[in-house]
Amino acid sequence: MMETYYYSQFNHAVVHVALFDDVTNSTAIRSRIIQAARILGVDGDTEREAINFAFIDARLISSLLHLQTAIYQALLSEAQGQLRTKTIHSEILWALNPTNNITEAIRRYGVSDASTTLIVIRVDVSNILDVQRRMCDIVQGSMVTFEALKQMTDWSTIKKHYKLDAEPALKEVQGKQDRERAIVNNIIVSSVAMKNVVA
Amino acid sequence: MSPTQQLLQNADLISQGAEAKVYKAYLRQLPTSGQARNAASDSPDHEVLEPVLLKYRFHKQYRHPSLDTSLTRQRIAGESRALMRCMKSGVNVPGIRMVDANEGVLGIEWIEGKSVRQLLPGGAELEDINELEEMDEVDDTDATDALAEYGVSRDALMDMIGVEIAKMHSSDVIHGDLTTSNMMLKKKTRDLVLIDFGLAYYSTLVEDKAVDLYVLERAFASTHPDSEPLFSGVLAAYEKRTGKNWVPIKRRLDDVRLRGRKRSMVG
Ligand SMILES: Nc1ncnc2c1ncn2[C@@H]1O[C@H](COP(=O)(O)OP(=O)(O)O)[C@@H](O)[C@H]1O
Ligand SMILES: [Mg+2]
Repeated sequence: MMETYYYSQFNHAVVHVALFDDVTNSTAIRSRIIQAARILGVDGDTEREAINFAFIDARLISSLLHLQTAIYQALLSEAQGQLRTKTIHSEILWALNPTNNITEAIRRYGVSDASTTLIVIRVDVSNILDVQRRMCDIVQGSMVTFEALKQMTDWSTIKKHYKLDAEPALKEVQGKQDRERAIVNNIIVSSVAMKNVVA
Repeated sequence: MSPTQQLLQNADLISQGAEAKVYKAYLRQLPTSGQARNAASDSPDHEVLEPVLLKYRFHKQYRHPSLDTSLTRQRIAGESRALMRCMKSGVNVPGIRMVDANEGVLGIEWIEGKSVRQLLPGGAELEDINELEEMDEVDDTDATDALAEYGVSRDALMDMIGVEIAKMHSSDVIHGDLTTSNMMLKKKTRDLVLIDFGLAYYSTLVEDKAVDLYVLERAFASTHPDSEPLFSGVLAAYEKRTGKNWVPIKRRLDDVRLRGRKRSMVG
């Protein structure tokens, strides 16, 4: 169910992504992330490594392509020494948000107390062992295939964040839900891809 | 070597213009069997990667490097913005998939299909590198056959072209290089897709829209024999879609044609 992507052009980076439904411990995950930054010494390093993932609320993700595009642009920024945030994982959140505000990106796309669907991502230089188990250790919920993403996407919030409601492309297909979603997906995937050049 | 240079190295060159090289590429790879075992993830073996089209604006030797980089960056930003504006206006254009402005590369959705040029008589001569292999197959009957294979009539194709250009102009995007090579018929959906926004810009001026149409008219005339009825079909659909804004554009198009003729008479 977990998906793994291979990128030889980024020093053979390997990216693992998994989708969780019925998540019950998002508050705990969030506080673990905040706490981990404060713990000193070896314990801190261990804890930081344990939660060294991107946690993304699945509601604002419209498709796997949307996610893959943000991952790609984050890998590119890292390779060019141009990360806008501290890590590749937070950079993925930054890439997903239409504005340049990092706090807003984390608030909107990161795990919140209300998250019940989560996407977990790990970017690594090679295949690490037990990634899937380590994800499941953190997230209480059920890992599902990305087929299930369709039922999780909150299209109206996405349209609001990207200010798409008044666009002619959407008006033209009013009432045709599938067409509209395909158009919104195409617009936001493209926005993520071009963010570096307009930002 | 930078990631994007590596990507280009593993990509297939499909055309080389004065400003840019165009490639078909994949942004990631399927796992080798060893990797798949290690990953313990059941990433489907049957997974098919979607190709992308990479447009690489290579360095110009005669330009100062930093000026070159910033010009390239502007071009890529401009092409991306034009595509985005079209998308939001409901014009069929390829989606954007990857942008590396530092390296001068724009990655867009791969459109599986044929250019309108290939689908019309006269347009079948060598257009890009790939067609080298297909040389013996190409002649006019093939253009007609290809269109028939798509289940699209020539009139319907002209109609679609007029509609897409009208939508683009009503969102004040001027294409800047309208030719039958820069539009494709998508195999899967039979949609007409406008491509190559490298010279596109934003303008509300009737003059710019009229010149855009005139450029296409000339392209039809120089590439496709007996193109008049074809291009009239394009204009009829454009007129229908443009409504009340058509009259001033039509008037200006007549002006532009006259200027064009005078210029060619003077030599
Ligand atoms: N999105 C695409 N999908 C598939 N083929 C494309 C796409 N964009 C361009 N092409 C092909 O590549 C050729 C060159 O691309 P184009 O963007 O027109 O660059 P140029 O500025 O060199 O003309 C096109 O004529 C077309 O045959
Ligand atoms: Mg072209």
